[in-house]
Amino acid sequence: MNPRLPRAIDQGLASCHVCGKVTPVVAHRCPRCGSALHLRKPASLKRTVALLLAALALYAPANMLPVMTISEIGNVMASTILQGMVEFWRREAYPIAIVIFVASIMIPIVKIVALVWLCAAASGKVHPSPRILGRIYWFTELLGRWSMVDIFVVSILVALVQFGAYMNVTPGPGALAFAGVVVLTMFAAMSFDPRLLWDRLEILNAAKTPQPPPDRE
Amino acid sequence: MKRASSITTWPKPAGAPHPVACHFCDTLHDAAAVPEGTAARCKRCGAVLYQNRAASLVRVTAFSLTALILMGIVNLFPFLTMEANGIKTELSLFRAARELIREGSPAIGWCVAIFTIVAPLVMAGGMLYVCGPLLRGRAAPGARHVARWLGHTEPWNMIEVFLLGVLVSLMKLGKMADLYFGVGFWAFAALMVCMAAAVAGIDRNELWDRLEVAEE
Repeated sequence: MNPRLPRAIDQGLASCHVCGKVTPVVAHRCPRCGSALHLRKPASLKRTVALLLAALALYAPANMLPVMTISEIGNVMASTILQGMVEFWRREAYPIAIVIFVASIMIPIVKIVALVWLCAAASGKVHPSPRILGRIYWFTELLGRWSMVDIFVVSILVALVQFGAYMNVTPGPGALAFAGVVVLTMFAAMSFDPRLLWDRLEILNAAKTPQPPPDRE
Repeated sequence: MKRASSITTWPKPAGAPHPVACHFCDTLHDAAAVPEGTAARCKRCGAVLYQNRAASLVRVTAFSLTALILMGIVNLFPFLTMEANGIKTELSLFRAARELIREGSPAIGWCVAIFTIVAPLVMAGGMLYVCGPLLRGRAAPGARHVARWLGHTEPWNMIEVFLLGVLVSLMKLGKMADLYFGVGFWAFAALMVCMAAAVAGIDRNELWDRLEVAEE
């Protein structure tokens, strides 16, 4: 591996976030698609941390408050995300219980922890190890949307189960908080810039070699 | 022209080879043509830089057109019918969003509408609008703006997640009532496949290179 591969930032070049064209950043706007040009996503860490804090604030209500209320012949039962999963487990519908557990409970918390770690690595608090963390970032971006499945279940049940006094499902306050967690963590993942990890590694490598050979090119 | 003659690839804008920077580590590369069906990877981190999809424009046009037709079917025919205690209720994408808005959760209702109706419609319609004319080497008016919006919309298209939601709901309702699948449901499953094929059908760099060449 050649550690001295040229980076776009070293030559003042920015690759467009939207169309990928590489242009000198002094142009400010991409000549091909007209989007604003940046060397790195603007205020990446601040935005990611802010969105993560907002997501964390909603995390407790999302899991404590009922996402829906099921009323069946006078019996009113509020159901949280966790109760929904436990219910499937009790009925021995294990695959579905595992799907719900992974999509609704594991992915949001893993995503928040991963993004906090990525932010810490990008700001130099822990070792960047960009190869592994880059993989983790790619994974969080890919998986985040699947947490929305519980919100869709609520919307489907609310639309389908409308039998008046016999059986009825209404959305609960937890659903809004949960949807908020999913959308906020998606935005947090989008505003994080994985190139910051490699920048940090570059700084570390520069610090390790005290006298870099002057004027190699 | 320095292009390798054995490689079929899309037309490049004047001044090729153009530099391309890795989106994960910012390493600069010359965007050399790669054989059809393969991807160019970053020298430093191994992430995919760009891909050369075979018959990309034809595929995207065909799949996005099919997706638009399927969307019509999904919304015209019953999706899922439930019968309990002699009463029938029907599920459709519109109803899934509308009932939430009616039952006092307008914010989630609109989210569901955006993720399952608006975003897929923008994606399929936009890809057809951009790639259809490109088949004949032309850029549709405003194609750049549409192509920009495609990039912003992509993460919010969640029809495959909605389909998983339908399956989970079926398991939840299984014992309570009789459920019937309608034509709409099968159209929705096919829609999911078409959307995935259309989105994966063309690389972003290829789309923008072709647009740039068409507008020159």
